[in-house]
Amino acid sequence: MTEVKKHYRSNPHLYRLLAITVLWMLFMAVTRFDKFYTFKNFQTIAAQFPEFGLMSLGVMLCMMTGGIDLSCVGVANLTSILCALLMTKLAGESGVLSPATFPIIVVVVLVIGALCGAFSGLLVAKVRIPPILATLGVNELLTGICMVLTGGAALSAFPKEMTTMLAANIGGVLPVRLLVFVAMAVLVWFMLCKTTYGTKLLLLGTSEKVARYSGMKTERMLIRTYMTSGICSALGGLMMLSTYASARADYGSQYTLQTILIVVLGGVSPNGGKGKISGVILAIVLLKLLESGINRFQNISSYYISLIWGGVLILAMVMDYVTGDKRSRA
Amino acid sequence: MKKLIALLLAATMVFSMAACSSGETAKDDTQDTSNTGDTTGTGETTGGEDWEIVVVPKDSSNPWFVRMNVGVEEYAEETGVNCYQKGTDQIDATLQAQLVQDLIAQDVDAICVVPVDIQSLDPILKEAKDAGIVVITHEGADLQNVDYDIEAFSNAGYGQFIMDNLAAAMGEEGVYTTMVASLTNGSHNEWADAAVEYQKTAYPNMTLLEAQPRVESNDNGDTAYNVAKELFKTYPELKGIMGTSSFDAPGVARAIQELGLRDKAFTTGTGMPADNAALLKDGVIKSLTLWDPAEAGKAMVSLALKVLNGEEVAAPLNLGIEGYDAMTFREGSTTVLEGQGWITIDAENVDSFGF
Repeated sequence: MTEVKKHYRSNPHLYRLLAITVLWMLFMAVTRFDKFYTFKNFQTIAAQFPEFGLMSLGVMLCMMTGGIDLSCVGVANLTSILCALLMTKLAGESGVLSPATFPIIVVVVLVIGALCGAFSGLLVAKVRIPPILATLGVNELLTGICMVLTGGAALSAFPKEMTTMLAANIGGVLPVRLLVFVAMAVLVWFMLCKTTYGTKLLLLGTSEKVARYSGMKTERMLIRTYMTSGICSALGGLMMLSTYASARADYGSQYTLQTILIVVLGGVSPNGGKGKISGVILAIVLLKLLESGINRFQNISSYYISLIWGGVLILAMVMDYVTGDKRSRA
Repeated sequence: MKKLIALLLAATMVFSMAACSSGETAKDDTQDTSNTGDTTGTGETTGGEDWEIVVVPKDSSNPWFVRMNVGVEEYAEETGVNCYQKGTDQIDATLQAQLVQDLIAQDVDAICVVPVDIQSLDPILKEAKDAGIVVITHEGADLQNVDYDIEAFSNAGYGQFIMDNLAAAMGEEGVYTTMVASLTNGSHNEWADAAVEYQKTAYPNMTLLEAQPRVESNDNGDTAYNVAKELFKTYPELKGIMGTSSFDAPGVARAIQELGLRDKAFTTGTGMPADNAALLKDGVIKSLTLWDPAEAGKAMVSLALKVLNGEEVAAPLNLGIEGYDAMTFREGSTTVLEGQGWITIDAENVDSFGF
């Protein structure tokens, strides 16, 4: 029991989120049990959250440094559009994409993400533009490139072999997209908790000055962080391409705000230096559970989704304040 | 510590409830498969009221779709069918696709959707069809994975309808011309072509302005106004302009007002009621043409119900809704149904739409 207690002491925010989640699940159980607690529903949820979940992971890393990444949707859409074009190219005249080309596409996705991220990172670290403006600018720029590439229309005429594979469920049960998300989450977790990167990242977020004086290469740290974020968003873009079997410059534009909401709800301090990946992952799932749950009520307008998301965010913050220990309150 | 115990208690409760009712869900599931797997409804013991039909608009705040909701709610009230509208809070293709996925997971019986984006929705609708859900769309004629798509009217029919309105205003005689958003716009030009063709036989005393039989407004009220002003000045004999885009007739009306040509020159065409209420009440425009989203919403639900009940869908199809009572298939298509769902908006009914 003391073990559990200790764990609670060190992760109060996580447990509060868990409490909210359990409350919501209880509420759904009481009100809409047979509509909500079905295998198909949880499968749909598991297939839907990876696209913005991946983006949220990237935003989380940036926010831990005291920055933010508003370019995630732009990166995602650019990736999906370039992928669609690349798939058409690779398939050639036969129009069939051979599985041998899948790794090439994955590498291209990672490179696009890394490049876009590096660009944002350079603007933040070297040119010293405030992250909120730098990434907003990059987002506009990338969306503009997407517009030019597609003329504003949706791209849907490309070979679907790879996207079909990604959109499928393994054995009809486990969504492939969930696996991609889990793989990336494990990787980010490893970076944060098992390497010195995580500690350095939080130190950088707490005080850049201290970090620099203690001999950290802060510029390289920042660029690396934004690159990781770019890669997360690019993978999110690949997930979107799979789900919608099409790419367009303005898909998922609501995700920019949604990812920030998730990351803050997950307990990452917007001022940097504080946060845990477990909280963010729980927040990703919680937000999707809320949305899906609300969609089970035919008389509740979708407006309430924003209302309830906002309510939960404020509730989590208030709970932090009321039950939080004195130290973090200062 | 107290908090922790409370948390554990809550968790146990959830799990025990899940365990208790899992048997029930399984039963429901098998029942659902028998419903959806066999849409012809043979051996169906449940009545029509048990179907769950959901209408998904592009979003739920656009006045156009608020009006559609009025229709859907009216239909539910009148017939007792369990149908309702559920939209996202902003127009976004991904949000709409996710909402449809959520509905598929809920195992509703029919989904009626007005697509934001054809390409991203098509694969999702395939999931719905694979799950045995009836899919009806509106203004989505290019979608592949649907049972049926409903269009308010055929392009030719709507063109003729606008011409009837213009002829009525002009007293069935005089010189007129046609205005489209652009000469490359597909539907606008089809409306105008059909209208001109129809005028030749139906209104022989009217003549098309030969020097300028078709002008462009670029979907812009100011352009429409300037072009119309120029036309009326250059061709004093010009008595009517048929508009197609929703900016045409209001723009032309401003020109008529300014040149003092009221009751000497006339215009009609597509137009939104609220935007043009002042012009209609003023009498510069006698009537505008449109289709009513409320009726389209009703028509979708009614057709979904027909498919669910296993009734035959053959032209001419009567959905029991005005304007959708003699629907025919679009030429060369077996899924796109066209009605006569156009309406006239005039000074009397302009305030009754709410958009």
